[in-house]
Amino acid sequence: MDLLQLGSYTFSSRLILGTGKFSNSTVMIDAVRASGAQLVTVALRRFNREQSEDDLFGPLLTLEGITLMPNTSGASTAAEAVRAAHIARELSGSPFIKVEIHPNPQHLMPDPIETFEASRILAKEGFLVMPYIAADPVLAKRLEEVGCASVMPLGSAIGSGQGLATSEMLNIIIRESGIPVIVDAGLRSPSEAALAMEMGCAAVLVNSAVAAAGNPPLMAEAFAEAVVAGRKAIRAGLMERSGSAVATSPLTFLGTI
Amino acid sequence: MITIELNGQQQPLPADSTVSNLLSIVGSDGKSLAVVVNEQIIRPEKRSAHKLQEGDRVELLMFAGGG
Repeated sequence: MDLLQLGSYTFSSRLILGTGKFSNSTVMIDAVRASGAQLVTVALRRFNREQSEDDLFGPLLTLEGITLMPNTSGASTAAEAVRAAHIARELSGSPFIKVEIHPNPQHLMPDPIETFEASRILAKEGFLVMPYIAADPVLAKRLEEVGCASVMPLGSAIGSGQGLATSEMLNIIIRESGIPVIVDAGLRSPSEAALAMEMGCAAVLVNSAVAAAGNPPLMAEAFAEAVVAGRKAIRAGLMERSGSAVATSPLTFLGTI
Repeated sequence: MITIELNGQQQPLPADSTVSNLLSIVGSDGKSLAVVVNEQIIRPEKRSAHKLQEGDRVELLMFAGGG
């Protein structure tokens, strides 16, 4: 069985789904079900009695076989992310934490220094740390060395739908990494998810591409199939590229009759 | 009466109120909320005994959608 291993946890699905930006929680739950995702991200927010429908705890309880991966979005320093992780663990009962520290709302690029520091502390405390990072091979290696469960480099900016703009750096990260590499952010279409898997990513995390689709559950299903296809392709072994044509049919027979 | 800071807003409360009393006042059973008082997490089993003091900074947090 080809399983995704993160710490001591294993998952048969290699699609991780975010729960943000859905029109309502019913559509979100339908999309999670359709995606087959077993690891689902959530964010921590202040309780607001006027917006209690935003509380995902009840809806998420209706899903079976799901492990929650809270993120630290909203934190702009390592200390804030560590505090958020501790609070999130109280609610999720899960050791997974997506370290996400992006101080600038204009581009949402992750702060490498604060991300490294928070990840180092949380990994030491026993969290399964999944840091959201720029596609930086050096940082990825440093995060592996401090005990992260995976690294999650961006394909392109969060919510941009620009796909695998960082593919050259992603290839280096995948080649060098001893831990699972998960592309997180920027994907728009299932073909990009398939390509990420063919490149050797261990999994793919999508949110906007599904939530902002015309039919989110159908798009979730499409991403699930693409991830499976891409994974099968790399396991099967892609053929070598050639600079010139290589015939698939005999070229001599017809000329002789 | 005392006044606490609840999620950044001033909130009056009867003296001797506990965390559980506060949750009732805001209309939550607390099952889906994390409670943090002065940066300390108050676990569910401690909420009925934890009395709030004048000036306490209380955060009530929940899971919402996020990627």
